Amino acid sequence: MHLVRYRSIQTVRNWSQMFWALAFPIILGTFFYVSFGSGDMGEEMGPIPVAVVADAGEAADTKAFMDFLEQMDGGVLQVLPMEEEAAREALQGDEIIGIFDCRRAPSLTVAGTGISQSILKSLMDGYDKNAALIASIVRDHPEKIPELSEAAAALGQRQEMTEDVGVKGRTLDTNISYFFALIAYACLAGVFLGTQASLDSQADLSALGARQSVAPVHRLQMILTDLLVLFFIHFGNVLILTCYIRFVLKVDLGGDVPALILVEWMGSMIGISMGILVGRISRLGMSGKMGLCVFLTLFPSFLAGLMFGQMKNVVERHCPIVNRINPAAVLSDALYSISVYNDGERLIRSVAILSIMSVGMVAVAYLAVRRVSYDSI
Amino acid sequence: MIQIKNLVKRYGSLLALDHLNLSIHEGEVFGLLGPNGSGKTTAINCLLALLRYDKGSITVMGEPMGPDSYELKRQIGVVMQDVAVFEQMSVRENVDYFCGLYIRDKARRKELVEDAIQFVGLGEYVKMRPKKLSGGLRRRLNIACGIAHRPRLIIMDEPTVAVDPQSRNKILEGILELNRQGSTIIYTSHYMEEVEQICSQIAIIDHGRVLASGTKEELKDMIRTGETITIEAVALEQEHLDALRALPHVFDVSYKEQILVIRCSRARHNLVSVLHYLEGKDLVFGKVFSELPTLNDVFLEITGKGLRDQQGGDGR
Repeated sequence: MHLVRYRSIQTVRNWSQMFWALAFPIILGTFFYVSFGSGDMGEEMGPIPVAVVADAGEAADTKAFMDFLEQMDGGVLQVLPMEEEAAREALQGDEIIGIFDCRRAPSLTVAGTGISQSILKSLMDGYDKNAALIASIVRDHPEKIPELSEAAAALGQRQEMTEDVGVKGRTLDTNISYFFALIAYACLAGVFLGTQASLDSQADLSALGARQSVAPVHRLQMILTDLLVLFFIHFGNVLILTCYIRFVLKVDLGGDVPALILVEWMGSMIGISMGILVGRISRLGMSGKMGLCVFLTLFPSFLAGLMFGQMKNVVERHCPIVNRINPAAVLSDALYSISVYNDGERLIRSVAILSIMSVGMVAVAYLAVRRVSYDSI
Repeated sequence: MIQIKNLVKRYGSLLALDHLNLSIHEGEVFGLLGPNGSGKTTAINCLLALLRYDKGSITVMGEPMGPDSYELKRQIGVVMQDVAVFEQMSVRENVDYFCGLYIRDKARRKELVEDAIQFVGLGEYVKMRPKKLSGGLRRRLNIACGIAHRPRLIIMDEPTVAVDPQSRNKILEGILELNRQGSTIIYTSHYMEEVEQICSQIAIIDHGRVLASGTKEELKDMIRTGETITIEAVALEQEHLDALRALPHVFDVSYKEQILVIRCSRARHNLVSVLHYLEGKDLVFGKVFSELPTLNDVFLEITGKGLRDQQGGDGR
């Protein structure tokens, strides 16, 4: 408790570090709000116009997909039956967002990247997954065909489910990607807290570090205390930022509060873990480490769309692996999963990636310093 | 209490410690005297297992010292050369924090913290942040943080650098008091007066080697100089200097910027002989000083250079 108490005092009273971890993201959020204009913030997101290209004689699976789209019509989607040629022209002329081709196995064509396109892709993926599940049951477990009707009914009720918790009817800010990237950035800004704490514990970087290194406190205890204290402080910072965005700027971040808190919890953890790792293993001096912190917050956030909203989609198109390992992109994706896609599986995947990264970073930091003596201090 | 044997430490091609040997016994105030860059702090950092060394062995209280020697560390207090305190915390919070790394019992810690604060004379400043304190008071806080847990062994690495005379005297008196209370002290400094004033055993080091060690009396007995006579004199010629050099017990004479310095071996009436010669030749002279040998003389004779010569114009 002694370490916890004093590490908390040292952190909270360090104004410059708290500025980067708390005040700067709030200022940036305000800047976004002013730049985009408050009028855009509450804009309703209407149904997404899509063309559906279909033949008269449809196969069974195509028929099912058509039924699925029909149920979405007027809600999430504005379904426009078209010939292939007309649909392509409409897509090029930005009259529609995508084309569902139902003539063979259902497929989706989009011409750009963005929230609407992502929603269409999410719908397509969701349908494919359910269709594959049903086909598998029919093939492998024919005795369960009666239950299949219930599954089909569930598939048919998707619109209803979507109306309750998903996109339709939600107030979505069209610039929300910036705010998601900002929250991701704020989570990563925990790297400053983690690094500063490590600097205070390393004999080769500060006299304080030397004094703490000669104290009879186990290294793992020191690291875990740092992790615990800094995590809770930073999680508080992120919650304050979220409340500011939601209640002061009135930007809708989605209705699933527990999921949002879970993502921010993991985001804070990854920020602090990264800071502890940078502070403990890098051979850079103090200013070098702080420079690295700036890079580790801004560059991943840039790739996740903090400065240019479409950046994440550009990365996804050209090098998707970066979006899987970039913590800011994973965080941003998790926020989209709860606020836009309503995709629980994607959310769980993102949280799992963040958890593995955090544990890995702290483990490496401990292994690096558990019996450390320095070549020079 | 501490045995350092054949310690070798290199920084790349620079040999910082060159087969350093030290033996420090319980109850001593052990002074490690040497110019800046002589290897004092490197030796201390190796002793504390902060620095890796290339060769040799270090045992503290009979046990080898390593980064995870937590039981040994519990009995050691360290006062770093640089002030190592948290600027975000008050004087009392700092002392309590560092004491708490060693002492878990809250009531006992409270008592120790108060004692340490009173010991260094910071009672009036307990609520102040370190940045509000003067350099001398910050140094005292640095000491309080290092000794509050009443360690058996206290290592002080140049604790009086850039400290005003009042604070310096307070610090030196405090060190002797800690020693009287039972702590063994290792004190590094390049200020020979301090080492001479408080240390019962002294090792003079330069270029990472121990040049001489013993009590201050033993060290002074090792050298030829028994008295240094300094005289302000004008218009001395080479023949006068040669004649002075020929006086009994005089072994070195220098004359620069009208200051005559004469080194003599231990003998009675050295000063009388010199003054008698100057008067006999009708030479004009002003102030006259006669000094017994200092540790600087010891260092000068052993190395051919003065401790003060190497401190970059340090006026102390």
